[in-house]
Amino acid sequence: MAMAQDELSPVLQEFDGLSLGNYNPYRDEMAPLMISSEGIVATDITKKFFAAAATLEPGTLIKDGYFTLFESVGALEIMDPKMDSGCLAPGESLDEDYDVTRPLLPSEVLGIIDQLLCLEMAWHLGYPLSQTILTNVYIEAMLMPCPTTIQDADFIRDRPEGTPRDPMFAVLRAYCLGLLKTCWYVNERIKFEHYYEEEDFVTNTYHRSLLDNIDRNEIRDEIMEARKTIHNLGHRISEDMAQALGFRLELRTAFLRAIELSELRSNPESLSLPWSQMKAIWEPINKSRHLGTPVPEAFSTKIQRRLASTMPPRPIVQLSFEETYGHFKRLFNDGIDVLKVLDYTDSQSLLNFVQTFQAQKPQPLVYIRALLQFFLFKDMIILGHLSIRHVMDDDLSIVVLPLSKLLDPNNDRCEVPHDARFAMSHQMELFRQRAAQSYLDISRAFCQNRCRVRRTLCHSIQDWETVQMDAEEIDQLLQIQLDEKPMMYQTSLSVESGAAGGEPAYSLPLSSWAYLYKLRLMEWIVQLGFELDTYAPDELAGMYWYLSYLAKMRASHVERIQKFTVARVNEIRLTPHTALPDEMEAKYQRSMSYLRLTLLDAAVTWEMADALSCLYTVLGRLGAIVAPPRPYSSDALRYDIRMKPFAPIGLPELPSYDVFEHASTQAETSTANLLEFASRAVGVVKKGYEALSKLSEKEAFTANCHSRWVAGTKNCFKSVIATSIAISTVKTAVDKATIRGRDVSVALKVDIPRPDKLYHEWWIVPKVTEMLTS
Amino acid sequence: MSDENITPLTTEAEQSEEKNLAALFLQSLLNKNLRVTTTDQRMFWGSFKCTDPDSNIVLQDTYEYRQPTFQTLRKQTSSSSSSSFLEDVSGGGTVKLDMTSRYLGLVVVPGEHIVKMEVEEFASQMKK
Repeated sequence: MAMAQDELSPVLQEFDGLSLGNYNPYRDEMAPLMISSEGIVATDITKKFFAAAATLEPGTLIKDGYFTLFESVGALEIMDPKMDSGCLAPGESLDEDYDVTRPLLPSEVLGIIDQLLCLEMAWHLGYPLSQTILTNVYIEAMLMPCPTTIQDADFIRDRPEGTPRDPMFAVLRAYCLGLLKTCWYVNERIKFEHYYEEEDFVTNTYHRSLLDNIDRNEIRDEIMEARKTIHNLGHRISEDMAQALGFRLELRTAFLRAIELSELRSNPESLSLPWSQMKAIWEPINKSRHLGTPVPEAFSTKIQRRLASTMPPRPIVQLSFEETYGHFKRLFNDGIDVLKVLDYTDSQSLLNFVQTFQAQKPQPLVYIRALLQFFLFKDMIILGHLSIRHVMDDDLSIVVLPLSKLLDPNNDRCEVPHDARFAMSHQMELFRQRAAQSYLDISRAFCQNRCRVRRTLCHSIQDWETVQMDAEEIDQLLQIQLDEKPMMYQTSLSVESGAAGGEPAYSLPLSSWAYLYKLRLMEWIVQLGFELDTYAPDELAGMYWYLSYLAKMRASHVERIQKFTVARVNEIRLTPHTALPDEMEAKYQRSMSYLRLTLLDAAVTWEMADALSCLYTVLGRLGAIVAPPRPYSSDALRYDIRMKPFAPIGLPELPSYDVFEHASTQAETSTANLLEFASRAVGVVKKGYEALSKLSEKEAFTANCHSRWVAGTKNCFKSVIATSIAISTVKTAVDKATIRGRDVSVALKVDIPRPDKLYHEWWIVPKVTEMLTS
Repeated sequence: MSDENITPLTTEAEQSEEKNLAALFLQSLLNKNLRVTTTDQRMFWGSFKCTDPDSNIVLQDTYEYRQPTFQTLRKQTSSSSSSSFLEDVSGGGTVKLDMTSRYLGLVVVPGEHIVKMEVEEFASQMKK
């Protein structure tokens, strides 16, 4: 509580008499401030302090022992206009010239709302609130001081009792209420999930409460009320205007409703209703924006000085309405699309959904990505109704263990410790606990921005390396319980080396499963490298060779899984000498179809990568791609750095630099042969992609995302065609040169398109044109 | 700036004694809450961490207080406000106002911009 002037403590009064005038150039303009608070006495030490500090030797400091100069680097320098957001230019005032109580025309309200829509989208795109929504004077007046009740949440606070709100104020206020509450929910959702602050999104609210303590139902009622108000205005505003304002309010209601429903995480049909509604009203909103009059005065960067921010004011982020229109449209479509993830069919479809959804260009907004994570992982309940075990067992049964005793839920019921079923249940549970995190992390990683996906996967492969090793131990314990007999298995390697019959081998299903994921992750890392424009043109031959190397590994691994699965299921089949029951047969077929798909996918990947690798090798030889001079490093050192993420992986081992060098230059193969090989590979790939694109939703494991997947496959197909064109261009040029004689050099112009100009981001196909030389 | 430095009457011993006292005084202020007013009439309230010969001051957990603008002054004087933190004496009349504050964290206030410094102490703990 404050004390009155005459009650001030004698100390303060005494100091009041001190000559402050020497130090205060503003004394004449402004009377000094006196701050009063109970129990605390402030003593003026200005003179004493300056005098004492002046006696210090140059370079000495008086400082608190726990305070380090390192910390002080982060301190803001007051009165430095670049650092101090409160520093005013001479003559500048903090006063807002804008009067929020001035009457507003309907067209002005519309103009302000449309401007707010643009700012809202800018925030979604990653700009801070301080440069977007919080630059609006109405919003600022509504939020400061912080309203605790819905009545308080208004830009005109002390309205006399009983006087109705001006209808235009009511509309703008209701809109702002809906907007702020939506922003609060969006912000909370994003904060709760995994995202990268300031890289993806800025969640800072600068100590402003975005109406978090006001109930959404109250806000919804206010918006309804405002819509009624518009209706009651009748002919006092034009019908178009009434409609335009009405749609904008409806958008706010629908957005809040969409957020509310998303919390249910079930029944995508009904959850998508408000999103569809927004999508539908977005068009008329766009068409009616000409009715609005912009009110630029209602937005000001000055407000930033009042926010809890250490940043000096920065400009308002101005998106054009065209851009805003496009982004919102995309947001609503993605909002509908993302809900489809809730329809679970199988674990592989789920992974494909996440992948294809996130691979879209441009990527869905952070909020949508946060929603996807929320649907997937909230409370460790997958998609709101599945246990992690359910999804993992489903995946194991698709990939390695169809119809296996190991996945029989009845094992859990066995309580006899020396029973095999008891041991199986126990070991499987151990395995699940060990692998669950790494397994879920794949989907979580794919929900991040593309650069982060790649980075995260680089770390994940090391986790998978240990998961695989742990799984192998468990496999060995389980094969005893299952009384598994080793099978003579011939690896493609042993075939090459001429060893007949192969070696006795066990199926090792759990470690096979982990190894398959590790291989896929490694391929994705390389492929994302292409997508993210990581590699220099002269590196492409080598990187495509490495991709092909990994894909070949995957193919031979899948073949192994296939062999063991077929053998195991045949055993089940033969014992009773009858066909399997329909349900079991379906499970078996599902696994077989998955393995076929993976095999096909691995095959097209390696053939296509081979073709491109050969093509780039040839282009390098012909001098069409020249490595820039790199005087301070060697190729071998650069290889070490480039392959760093893969170096710690034991299986598949990273090829040595010599192997890599040899494979990417293929010095002993003639150019003509390389081109021949590339065009043969392309022929195979073409057939492969044709076969892939004909697969049904069920065969491709793309439930709810089939069209996206098909589109991706078709883009790959286009890349194949482009590759074959490039190869034949090079071939013609080389042939011509050969006919003319050895000395004639081949003049080719190579254009390597940016990833966004490619048919498919993972296949960097060069544009090759023959240069006309006389 | 200060007169003491110019007077040659003090002996070396006295000078170093004086320096010690000065350093002790500054040290006694460490971690106390200071109110530092700058040339632009803002006041910074935070815990004192560090200073140097130029009286540059480092404050931690600082809040910035700003004089109410004329706009709010007009508004507030017309409607009577109840609770207050600040008293403004303008032309004899006394008005009570809420000061607008903002959290800033760690700041350096350069000595050249300081017009006033106050140290806060609990009335109950002050020496009589």
